[in-house]
Amino acid sequence: MIEFTEEQELIRESVKEFAQRKIAPIALEMEKNKEIPKDVIKGMAELGLLTCTADPEYGGSGLNAVTAGVIAEELAKGDCTGSTCVFYLVQAAWGYLLNKYGTEEAKKEIFPKTCSGDWFLGIATTESGGGTDVVGGKTTIKKDGDSFVVNGEKMYISGVREAANSGGGHVTIAHQSPELGSRGMTVFYLPLTAEGITPTYIDDLGREGISCGGFSIDNVKIPKHYIIGEENKGFYIIHEGYEYARALIAVICAAAGLKSLENGINYTKERTVFGKPLAKFQEINFRLAEHYTKLEMLKRLGYEALRAIDLEQEGKGDRFETSKIVAMSKMFASDWACEAINDVIQWQGAFGYSRECPDQAAWRAVRSFSLAEGTREVMKMIVARELLGKELTSYK
Amino acid sequence: MSKIIVCVKQVPENNDLKIDPNTNKVIKIGVSTIINPFDQFALEEAIKIRKEGDEIIAISIGDLETKSTIMRCLALGADKGILLNDEKFQDSDTFATSHILAAAVKKIGDYTIIFCGNSSFDTGLGQVGPELAALLDIPQVTYVENVEKIENGKLVVKAQTDEGYNIIESTLPLVVTCIPPSSFQPSIPPLPKILAAQKKPFEIWNAVDLGGDNNKFGPSGSLIKIMKLYNPPKREEGIVIAEEPKIAVEKLLELLSKDKVL
Repeated sequence: MIEFTEEQELIRESVKEFAQRKIAPIALEMEKNKEIPKDVIKGMAELGLLTCTADPEYGGSGLNAVTAGVIAEELAKGDCTGSTCVFYLVQAAWGYLLNKYGTEEAKKEIFPKTCSGDWFLGIATTESGGGTDVVGGKTTIKKDGDSFVVNGEKMYISGVREAANSGGGHVTIAHQSPELGSRGMTVFYLPLTAEGITPTYIDDLGREGISCGGFSIDNVKIPKHYIIGEENKGFYIIHEGYEYARALIAVICAAAGLKSLENGINYTKERTVFGKPLAKFQEINFRLAEHYTKLEMLKRLGYEALRAIDLEQEGKGDRFETSKIVAMSKMFASDWACEAINDVIQWQGAFGYSRECPDQAAWRAVRSFSLAEGTREVMKMIVARELLGKELTSYK
Repeated sequence: MSKIIVCVKQVPENNDLKIDPNTNKVIKIGVSTIINPFDQFALEEAIKIRKEGDEIIAISIGDLETKSTIMRCLALGADKGILLNDEKFQDSDTFATSHILAAAVKKIGDYTIIFCGNSSFDTGLGQVGPELAALLDIPQVTYVENVEKIENGKLVVKAQTDEGYNIIESTLPLVVTCIPPSSFQPSIPPLPKILAAQKKPFEIWNAVDLGGDNNKFGPSGSLIKIMKLYNPPKREEGIVIAEEPKIAVEKLLELLSKDKVL
């Protein structure tokens, strides 16, 4: 079990206060209005939550992964819709990648604006033809003198409206040397306000406070300093960002599920059926115990995964061991949280099925995470690969 | 430069506490704690009136876990934190607590204002501030909702009364006990200030450091002896009459008559 530092506990206290005071009361309203209110984003920025993984010289707090997880956990408890969790986690994870591999010029240009909440930093790797299989993407990037030209499209991307309207962009990957497959891909920052970007929007099932959509990329010119890491090494670089996001997702799912169980406990203790509290029924007792145990295990595994990322950064970890534990933590995160929340909805009867019930929003939000940032199935592939070796894995 | 001292207490976050019947003490393991909300208000008032060069010192009595409450004060804007930690301080009532704080305040010395919360969220006795003023033999103003100004060596405050407010002027040094207005929203320390707080001075003082008569601390200095500590019996569930006002009143009268209240 991870022991949190005093500093992490103080950060937890601050985020908890903020999330309970400023987000929880308006969470369902965010979904109705399809946006996170500006004062909430401003509050998150003032608290130092946005791209908090960027180094202090660029306006961030230089937080490590475990501390980023503490923030994610408290946001997930406060925001039943998961909207601010996604808004936060994407920027924390991909800010981490930009901070580690980005050019000095890009970091100085982008981070002060994302940390202040004026810009949004997202991730855009999925295309209409495929998601987790990034090599299957069709988007290309070509050198053009001192610049690069990008063509293609991205789809099912969080925060398209936020970046297109307010400024900012997405960490993106494309084929620079298509003949080399995974060894010919490059990661870069793509501003969504650039000429040649045309956004489209999708009506998502959940976490509706943050937009989802796609964009076509038509001869978009980007400067050289937007390239993140070495050219043609993007496939390896991008996975570090994925892993950061996956481990945060494990903690978010656990926290959302545990928060829902808390709602369920309160409800079943109060609600009487056939002359006794609903909580007295063995069906509820046993399922509550099972869900709680699974979600506590999940939370701990999520923090272990985040710690593995931190250890690797400190030169004390192993790349593949990190991939394995991260994949283990995300594999059942969405499923276990969804199962728990689904039961809480059931316990609450008709109210559980109404739009007024926070748990239905939590279920819709958490459901997305068996798809987002790498599917459940791919997590199994990664763990199996580490156990059996590359030769015996079910994919190449 | 003047020293402004703020006394803070760590309290349980909610009142759903378990009591160990053998030791007659609240079980602290697993209990979530916060800074006493009145104390945070007192700290924010101190920060509000500070002038350049002033030093705000947050002090608290408690176990090592209490350090987190002091660190919060540092993140909110205090300049230095002192934890008063010694086995001899345990089981102090308000009188013994006031003796410990008075000894610490004397050791700090050269202070102008001592801020306290009017009372604490857990025991709610409201004795420490006035007792501290008495032990230090300095003036006190209680139920302060707003510190208006500090001018010409005098402090002007707005204090609550049963009828309204008093505007009170006092000489320095003095003890001010604060009670927040209903509109008060405690500040939330941002991440950069939490990180910066770790670099601010923090000290732990024990009974030997405080000197003086140690018999005034802990059970030997306490006037109150706790014979038994127990949770109050749970109140029966209330009845909600969700009707139009006219019908609701009729039903209420009916219930009150039935219970022979009317």
